[in-house]
Amino acid sequence: MSKIDTQIIQQQAVAPHQIPLIEFKGVSKTYLSGTNALTDINIKINKGEFVFVVGASGAGKSTFMKLIMREEKPNTGDIIVNGYHLHTMSRKQVPMLRRTMGIVFQDFRLIPTLNVFDNVAFAMHVVGAGSREIRKRVSNALNMVGLGHKARSMPSQLSGGEQQRVGLARALVNKPNLIIADEPTGNVDPNMSYEIVELLTEINRRGTTVLMVTHEHQLVRDFAQRVIMIEKGRIIADNSDGGLI
Amino acid sequence: MKLRSFKHLLGGGLKNIWANKLMSVASVGILIACMSIIGLAYILTENVNKTLGEIEQQNVVMVYFNDINSVRYGGAEKLSTGSNISAASDSSTAVSSTGAESSVDSSTTNVVDPNEISDEDYLIHTEQEALALCEKIRSVPNVASAEFVSSEAGLEKIKQNMLSEQSEYFSFLDGDNPLSCGAKVTMTDLSLFDETLANIQAIDGVDTIQSQGDIAAKITSIKNGVQIAAWWIIGILFIISLVIVSNTIRVTMYNRKLEISIMKAVGATDWYIRIPFLVEGVTLGLVSALFTTGLLYFIYQAVVGTMKNALSISQVIPYSNFAWLLFGIFAVIGVVSGFLSSLVIIGKYLRKEGSEFRAI
Repeated sequence: MSKIDTQIIQQQAVAPHQIPLIEFKGVSKTYLSGTNALTDINIKINKGEFVFVVGASGAGKSTFMKLIMREEKPNTGDIIVNGYHLHTMSRKQVPMLRRTMGIVFQDFRLIPTLNVFDNVAFAMHVVGAGSREIRKRVSNALNMVGLGHKARSMPSQLSGGEQQRVGLARALVNKPNLIIADEPTGNVDPNMSYEIVELLTEINRRGTTVLMVTHEHQLVRDFAQRVIMIEKGRIIADNSDGGLI
Repeated sequence: MKLRSFKHLLGGGLKNIWANKLMSVASVGILIACMSIIGLAYILTENVNKTLGEIEQQNVVMVYFNDINSVRYGGAEKLSTGSNISAASDSSTAVSSTGAESSVDSSTTNVVDPNEISDEDYLIHTEQEALALCEKIRSVPNVASAEFVSSEAGLEKIKQNMLSEQSEYFSFLDGDNPLSCGAKVTMTDLSLFDETLANIQAIDGVDTIQSQGDIAAKITSIKNGVQIAAWWIIGILFIISLVIVSNTIRVTMYNRKLEISIMKAVGATDWYIRIPFLVEGVTLGLVSALFTTGLLYFIYQAVVGTMKNALSISQVIPYSNFAWLLFGIFAVIGVVSGFLSSLVIIGKYLRKEGSEFRAI
C-alpha cells in the first residue's frame, strides 16, 4: 500500500469536528468603485465540512471566495483561514496560504499546450516537488478522478466534464485541506455536474473541507449539505445546524 | 528555492523564447541593430582618440633653458648688472607661447655682450645640468617625454623646416647661434596643457616655453565632443534596448496569463513566476550580444576603408583589440536591459490577483 493511500485512509478515519478552518469576524468589503460587496459577515466553517455557497449574481459570493483566497482584503473585520490571519499576513505569506488550498475554476483553466499529466504536475512543480514524487502523486490524483487512462491526452481531446475532473485532480494533487470550487459545474452538462459533485463529496468524505459556489439549486437539494446563502452582501441563511433552508 | 525548481524555471524561460519565436527574433534583431550602433560609436571613439593621441604626441612643446644664450639674446633685465646692451631696443622676450620668432627674430632681440655676462646670470652652464633639468621636467605630472635638444640641433631643426630659398634668412647670424638649449616635451593629456606648462615653467632653469596651446585646446575639445556624443548614443540606445525587451516580456506575459493565474492560485512565489521571464530577457540580451559581436567584425572591416579616408587615420585599431570588450559591453547591456525590463514589467503585474490579472 502506498504512502498516499495510507494517508487517505488516515484522513478517512478523521471525522468532521468543530475546529474552524475558515472564520469571518465582522467582515465588510467595499471596492474602490464604491460597490458594497459584503457587509458584516460572521461565519465559521469547520474542518471536514462540505459547504455550498449560493446566491444570485452580484450577491457577493465571488467576493466571499476571493477574501478566503486572499485575492482581496477586507476593509474591516478579521478572516482566519487554515490558521493564517489574512488581515495581518504579508504578501510573501500569501503563496503559503494558497498551498493549503486547492482551487477548482468554472472555466477549468487547463493549459492547452500541456497534456493532462503535465497540467496536474504543473501545480506540483510550483511547490518544488521532485519528479519521482510528481509521477506518483499525479497518477494517484488522476486515478482518483477516473482519468488515469487519459494522462497523455491533450485538454482539447477531453469533454467538459473530463476537463473539470483534470482541474479537480490538479486541485487535489498537493493534498490541500481545503478545496474551493467556484461554480465547478457551470460549464458541464447536468449529468456530468452530478459526477463532479459526487467526486467532491468523496474527497470531502476522506477529510478535505470543500467549499463550493453554485447556482444549481437542484444539486444543492440533492446533496443535502450545509448551505450558506448570500444576498446583497449579507448572509441571509445558513443551515449550519443541518436543517433545511 | 530548490535547485530542481530553478532548473525547471530555467527550462521554462527558454521554452518561452521558443513559444514566442517571432517576437523573440524581432527583439533580437532590433537589439542587434541598437548594439551595432553602440559598438560602432565605441569603435569610432576609440579610433578618433587614437588618432588624436598621435596628434597629441606630435604636438611638441619646446622648453628653452636659462643658458648663456638666453641671457645674450634675452635682454638686459636678465643680467645681474643690467647694462651694456649692444643693440638698443625696448622689446625683450621672456616667455613666448606662439612660435620660434622670440628666439630668432634679430630685429626685436637685444644682444648682450658675452663679456658682460657672469656665471651667476644664468643657471644652465653645462650639458650635464641641461640633462638633469630634462629629468626634472620628466618628473612633472602629465609629461610623457622630455628629450634634450642642444642649441645646435635646435637651429638645425628650424633650418630643415624652412624652404631652401628661406635659408638666407639666417645669414644675419653670421655663424652665430642665438638658440638656447632645451627640451622637446610631449604630454599625455592635452586637457591638462596649461597646468602642465605652469608646472614646467616653475622649475628653476627653465627660461621660455614655446607651444601651440590653441591646437591643444582644439584637440581636447574634439576628444571631449566625440566622447560626449558617444555617451549620448550609448545612453539613448540603451533606453531603446530596455523598451524593446520590455515589449517582448510584456507579450510573453500576455501569452502566459493563464499559466500565471494558475501559478498564483496554487501558491507560486513571486520569484517562481519572475524567473522564467528573467531567463527569457537575459537570454535574448546575451544572444543579441553574441550575434552583434560577430556582425560588427564584418561591418568594421567594411567601414575601415571609409574611416581611413574620411579621418585620415594612418592605421585603425584591429577589431581583435576590442572584440572581447565589445562583447562584454553588449552582454552587460543585454543582461541589464533584459533583467531590468523583466523585473519591472512582471513586478507591475504580480500585484494583480485572480480575475484582475486575467482581465489584463
